Amino acid sequence: MVAPTVKRRRPLTPYLLIAPALLFLAAFFGYPMVQGLILAVYDDEAVLPLLEDPGIEAESLGTLPQGTGLTVLDQRANLIDGELTSDLLTEEWFKVSALDSNDQTVEGWAPETRIRIREEADDGTPLAGTVRTKLAAGADPQTTLFQEASESADTAAKLDARTRVRIVDTATLELWFLVTPQDDETEVDQSLEGWAPSRFIQIFGEGELGRVDRGTEGQFTSRFIEKMAEDRFFGPAWRTTLLLMVLILPVQFVLATLMALVIHARLKATSIFLYIYSIPMGMSDLAVGILFFSLFTGNGFINSFLEGIGLIDEPRSFLSIDTRNWIIAAIVLAELWRATSIVMVIIVSGLQSIPDETLEAAELFGASYWQRVRYIMLPLLRPSIQVALILRTILAFQVFAVVIALGGGEVVTVLANETYRQYFALRNTNVASAYAVFILLLSIASAFFYLRAVRTQDELSST
Amino acid sequence: MAEIRIEGVSKVFGDTYAVRNANLTIHDQEFLVLLGPSGCGKTTLLRAVAGLGMADAGQVLIGGRDVTYLPPGERKISMVFQSYAIFPHMTVRDNIGFGLRMSKTSKTEIKRRVDEAAELLHIEDLLERRPADMSGGQRQRVAVARALAMQAEVLLMDEPLSNLDALLRLEMRAELKRLLREVKATTIYVTHDQIEALSMGDRIAVMRDGVIQQCDEPATVYSEPVNQFVGSFIGNPPMNFIDGVLRRVDTGLVAEVGDGFQIPATSEVPDELMPRVDAPIRLGIRAESMVTSAEPAEGAIEVVISVVEPLGAQNLLTIDLGDNRLKVSTHPSFDVRPGQTVWLQLPAEQIRWIDPADELVLGTGAR
Repeated sequence: MVAPTVKRRRPLTPYLLIAPALLFLAAFFGYPMVQGLILAVYDDEAVLPLLEDPGIEAESLGTLPQGTGLTVLDQRANLIDGELTSDLLTEEWFKVSALDSNDQTVEGWAPETRIRIREEADDGTPLAGTVRTKLAAGADPQTTLFQEASESADTAAKLDARTRVRIVDTATLELWFLVTPQDDETEVDQSLEGWAPSRFIQIFGEGELGRVDRGTEGQFTSRFIEKMAEDRFFGPAWRTTLLLMVLILPVQFVLATLMALVIHARLKATSIFLYIYSIPMGMSDLAVGILFFSLFTGNGFINSFLEGIGLIDEPRSFLSIDTRNWIIAAIVLAELWRATSIVMVIIVSGLQSIPDETLEAAELFGASYWQRVRYIMLPLLRPSIQVALILRTILAFQVFAVVIALGGGEVVTVLANETYRQYFALRNTNVASAYAVFILLLSIASAFFYLRAVRTQDELSST
Repeated sequence: MAEIRIEGVSKVFGDTYAVRNANLTIHDQEFLVLLGPSGCGKTTLLRAVAGLGMADAGQVLIGGRDVTYLPPGERKISMVFQSYAIFPHMTVRDNIGFGLRMSKTSKTEIKRRVDEAAELLHIEDLLERRPADMSGGQRQRVAVARALAMQAEVLLMDEPLSNLDALLRLEMRAELKRLLREVKATTIYVTHDQIEALSMGDRIAVMRDGVIQQCDEPATVYSEPVNQFVGSFIGNPPMNFIDGVLRRVDTGLVAEVGDGFQIPATSEVPDELMPRVDAPIRLGIRAESMVTSAEPAEGAIEVVISVVEPLGAQNLLTIDLGDNRLKVSTHPSFDVRPGQTVWLQLPAEQIRWIDPADELVLGTGAR
C-alpha cells in the first residue's frame, strides 16, 4: 500500500459558521448548566480553617466543618481597617486624653465599656465622656489606659472613676476566638485548637460555647442530594411524576397514532381534523390547567352537567385535599388533551414520508389495513415514534403548570414543583438545584434508553 | 385460466379522462405490453386492473370473475412497481415472503417458495440482507422475486426497468422475458420504451391521451400502424411522413410530392383511396423500407443528402424531399457524404396511405 501523498485539506468554513453557535451555547447554556450542577454538589461555606494566631495571614492548623460545636478558650480583639461586615462581633476602643489624679495630662486607649460618652458631634462621633465606675468588689478601682487598642498592650496610665476625658480617636476591633471542637457527633480532630474570627462563629449564652456558623472554604458534598432524598416530598414527587408518565404516555401514543392514521387516510375533509387536533398545541400549559380546573371545579362544567341531567343533587368536589385520585385523573385528562397533538404531528410527518407505492405494494400482496399498520407503517414509523417518545418523556419529567393549576402542588406534587418549592418557598437554592439535576439525569437516561431500545439506524438508512 | 378482460374502463381525474373507454382482452398466459408516452394513461389503466385506483366506469374481469370493485388483495394478482416498493425494514427473505405470510401460508411452504423465487432471480445470497445497502439492480430483482413468489396467475408490471441503467436494462429485459415464459402468468407490462415493447410483448397496446390506439402483435404494430401516432411512436427512427396530393395518371394512382415528384401506388390500393383523387394525402414509410442507390434507377427520385449519421449497424441519412424531411437508413457499406446526390426508391407495397385530416391510416380498418 502506498500512502496517499496529497493530504486532504479540511474545509474551514463550516467551523467558522458554527463558532458563533458554539459561543452562544457555551455562554447561555453550558455556563448556567455547569453552575446549576455545581450548586447541587458544592457547598462554598463547607469548612472553617482554624488559624495559629488571631490574624488573617496566620497559618491554618486544620479545618472544622460547618455546624461543629465549639468550646471558646480565649478571645482577642483585632483592629479592622475599614471594611465592616454586618455579622461581625466588634469592640469599640477610644483613644482618650485626660488629667489624671496627679493633674498630669495623659493619653491612651480604653475599651468602650470603660467610657461613658457624654458628648457627641452631630454625626454621632463621640467627643467627650467620663470614666465608668467599677462595680465589682475588690477590683482595681482605677481604669487602665493602654498604649495601643489592645488589653495586651503596655499600660499608658490609670484614671480614676468619673474622670472627664476627651475622646480624640476611635478604633473598631473584631473579636477572635481561640476555639476547640466540643462535639461528639461530627468526625473532627478533637485536639484541634486555633483562632477564628467572630464573624464565622456563633456564640451561645455566656460565651464559653459556640458552633461554626459558616465556613470560608468550599467543598464537594452530597449533603444537598441527601437532603433532597430525605425530603418528605421527594418520594411522593417522583412517584407521582412516574405515575403520570405511565398513565399518560401509552394512551397518548395510541391516541396520537390513531389520529395520525385518520389524517393519513385522506378521507374527505380530513385536513379539518388536522387543524382541530392541532388547537391544543397553541395553548400554554398553564392555560390548559386553568381550563380543566374550570371543568372540574365545584361549580364547573362537569358538576353543572351532572346536576343538569339529574345524576347528582349537589356539586361534588373533585379537586379537594381528599380527592387525590380525581386530581390525578384531571391532570391525566388535561395532559392528554394538551400534548397529544404534538405527538400526532410528528407521527403524521413520519407517515407522509412512507412512499405511497410501499403501502400499495403491501395492499396488493394481501395485507389488510391493520396488517399494513402493523407490518409496514409502525415499523417505518419507528424513527418518528422514537423522537416523539424522547420529547414527550422529557416533557413529562418537567410537568408543572397543569399540576399546580389543578392540584395546587400540595396533595399532588411532582419533581418540578419540588424544585420550585425548594427555591422560592424554602429559599434552598442548593436543594432546588439537586432536584433540577435529578430531573436532568432522568431525562438524559430516558433519551439514551429510547435510542437503545427503539433501534432504527441500521435498517432505515435508506429506502 | 386467467384471462383479463377490460371492458369499457374509464378513469377520470378532475375533469380530464386519464383512461377513456378502454377495451382489451389479455389471453391466458399472454404477455401484453401497454405502451405510450408519459401521461397517456397506461399506468392508470394498469392500476385499475390492480385495484389500486377503482375504475370510474366499466368492468375488469380476471378469469371470468368480476373484480372491478374488489380490493387489490383479493384479485389474485401480483405486481412489480416502478419504484420497486420494497419494504425497507425487512430482509430480502421477508420481502419476498410478505404476500405469502399475509395469506397465512405455512412456514415451510413460504421458505420453499421464497428460495425458489430467489433462485429464479439469482439472489439466493442476498436473502438475509436488507434493501438499504443493495444496488438498484438487486432491488429490482427482489421486487420481481416478490411478485413471482406469489405464483399468481396475473402479473402486473409498471415500468419495472425504467430505473435501471441502460446496460442493466438490456440484460434484465432478456431475463424477464425468459422468466415470464417460465412462470406462465398472464402479464400486463407497462412501458414507455418502444424497444422494450417490441422485444418483449406477445402483443402491444399503444395508448395515447387515455385512448387505446391499436392492439396487435409487435410486427403488425410496427409495419401496419393504424394511425400516424402509432407509426411515429414505434420504431427508431420513427416512420417518415410525406405530404402530397393524390393524382390519377395513366399507370394508376400516384402521390405528387414536392416539386412534381410522383410516387406510384401499387395496384392493390385501399378502396378508400379512390374518392381522394386530387385531394391532399400523406404517405408513411419506414426508414429501412426505402431503397437508395448511387445510380439513377427506374421510378427513383433524385434527392440530395443533407446529413449522414453513422450508427454502426446502419447509416442514417437525412434527406429533404420538398418540405418533408426524411430519415433513410442504409447499409454502412453504402458510402455517401452530405451534399451527394442519390436516387431514392419508395417501394409501393411499403407505403401506408394516411388521411391528413384525422391522421388515420387508410385501409387498416381503423375507421
